[in-house]
Amino acid sequence: MNVPPLAFLTPEELTAVRLSLTVATSAALLALPAGIGLGYLLARGRFAGKWLVEAVVSIPLVLPPVVTGYLLLVLLGTRGPIGSLLLNWFGIRLVFNMPAAVVAAMVVSFPLMVRAIRLAFQSVDPRLEMAARSLGAGRFRAFATVSLPLAHRGIVAGWTLCFARSLGEFGATMLLASNIAGQTRTIPLAIFSMTQRPGGIEASWRLVVLAILLACAAMIVSELLERSQSRHEST
Amino acid sequence: MSQLEFDCRHRFPGGFQLDAAFQTRRTVTALFGPSGSGKTTVLSIIAGFLKPDGGRVTFDGRSLCCGRNREFVPPECRRVGMVFQDHLLFPHLSVLGNLRYARRRPAPGREPIGLEAVVDTLEIGHLVKQYPRQLSGGERQRVALGRALLSQPDLLLMDEPLASLDAALKSRILTYLERVVGQWTVPVLFVSHSQAEVRRLAQWVVMIERGRVIRSGEPDEVLGTPEALAMKNSTAPLNLVRLDRIERTGDHCHGTVGTQRVYVPFGEDKGEVPDPLFVQFSPRDVVLSRRDVQGLSARNHLTGRIRQIVRLPQSAFAAIDIGQIIWAEVTADAVTEMQLELGTEVVCFLKAHNLQAVE
Repeated sequence: MNVPPLAFLTPEELTAVRLSLTVATSAALLALPAGIGLGYLLARGRFAGKWLVEAVVSIPLVLPPVVTGYLLLVLLGTRGPIGSLLLNWFGIRLVFNMPAAVVAAMVVSFPLMVRAIRLAFQSVDPRLEMAARSLGAGRFRAFATVSLPLAHRGIVAGWTLCFARSLGEFGATMLLASNIAGQTRTIPLAIFSMTQRPGGIEASWRLVVLAILLACAAMIVSELLERSQSRHEST
Repeated sequence: MSQLEFDCRHRFPGGFQLDAAFQTRRTVTALFGPSGSGKTTVLSIIAGFLKPDGGRVTFDGRSLCCGRNREFVPPECRRVGMVFQDHLLFPHLSVLGNLRYARRRPAPGREPIGLEAVVDTLEIGHLVKQYPRQLSGGERQRVALGRALLSQPDLLLMDEPLASLDAALKSRILTYLERVVGQWTVPVLFVSHSQAEVRRLAQWVVMIERGRVIRSGEPDEVLGTPEALAMKNSTAPLNLVRLDRIERTGDHCHGTVGTQRVYVPFGEDKGEVPDPLFVQFSPRDVVLSRRDVQGLSARNHLTGRIRQIVRLPQSAFAAIDIGQIIWAEVTADAVTEMQLELGTEVVCFLKAHNLQAVE
């Protein structure tokens, strides 16, 4: 008998799972270049106002996600300072749709990614880049061929943290993207919606277990990636 | 002949200040001085890793940096190779990956330094597939030297190339360095705090103390100044003598300096004795006499004439020509009582076990 994958889920639950995976993967991928850039800058850079950059990047870690969502809504709403520009110049709406869920997940999980990547770059001897430059490599080549590969474990860890945090994102998503079935209702929002219905606590156990499994799977995949990389290096 | 001109000032937040000026036209120049004197800072400025507060660096008439912001050639455009004290090999690349990292073409008119030639000269062919963490200290040093050479440098900087190695490895690396200098004639500026290393390798010495150049010149001239003779600990005076026509007998060997034979202990387990053999010893291990004395346990009685006497507050140093110049440290009273003067003939007694063979 041909059983489709995840056949034990209802169509509503399956949509939430697909949406969660899409949102979390997109958020982690879109945040990665900025995460690497900022992680490197904070690890190596010496500039005035570095503390301010650090504080701004870390704020979503300490703010209630609902407050982050509220601020994002104010900024990105169609009448907000950034949202109105995006709408008028590019016709882009970043509220109450799937891209808004990606933005909310990105902002909330970004500090975790930056912290992991920053630590990774701090553990790479900066003089290795000096050695590369004395061999004729420019700044970018020295970074791309020496620091970046040596920091790859922290980068993978940062990506995984960002992905896992995005999977669980609720508060900011609720405010910026709302809870629209099939569009922005990710696993946490689907669990919330179910629990609001009579008998919903019992009905939502499958999604709860799935959320736990997905988080664990993300951690295991990252661990395996790290190990395979270190095996490759030691041979 | 290439000429390096250095005249820079730089103050660090901790208070250390470098204010050094020197120039050299020789193939191998040593920056000599105690730890913390500013030697590595000089190399960092020449390599382009540190922007000095003021001054200029020129090499072969090409300005590498001038003033704080007026002109600054980035490290990758300087053609200045660097061998770091702790090697700084890229840990994620194999030895071959490290050697191939530099992709520069040689400067116009300069013979390219090829991968095969470097691998052969430094004897690292069997290591190319290994990773830096699998190498010994001496192997890493050779790979780091090879990597720097393959960047086709116009000038090679070496920061204490022998500091992290034990005595036996030091001498092997010295041999490789001599081969490299002989084969490619790349000008070398190396940092050292060992007078023996300076005597062995350098054609020109720049002596630095507390961020200032206090002397520069030929090794024998600079290391014979009161400042160099008064140095203590790792920078203390050290004689280096080259022995030729080596003959091995059991657990020792004989070599000649000028016309005199020198007895050197050399364990049978140490393998073949190199010819020529370099031996080093402290000036404190030299006992002087106006005439030869028989019946002493000291194996070496070497006759020579005094060429120079340097009086220091605590002691005096006499330079004696035994075929090569060696220094003897004696008390000021001994100089007076023995009536030591320029041209006086003396016998130097040297205990064989105080001679350290640099194999």
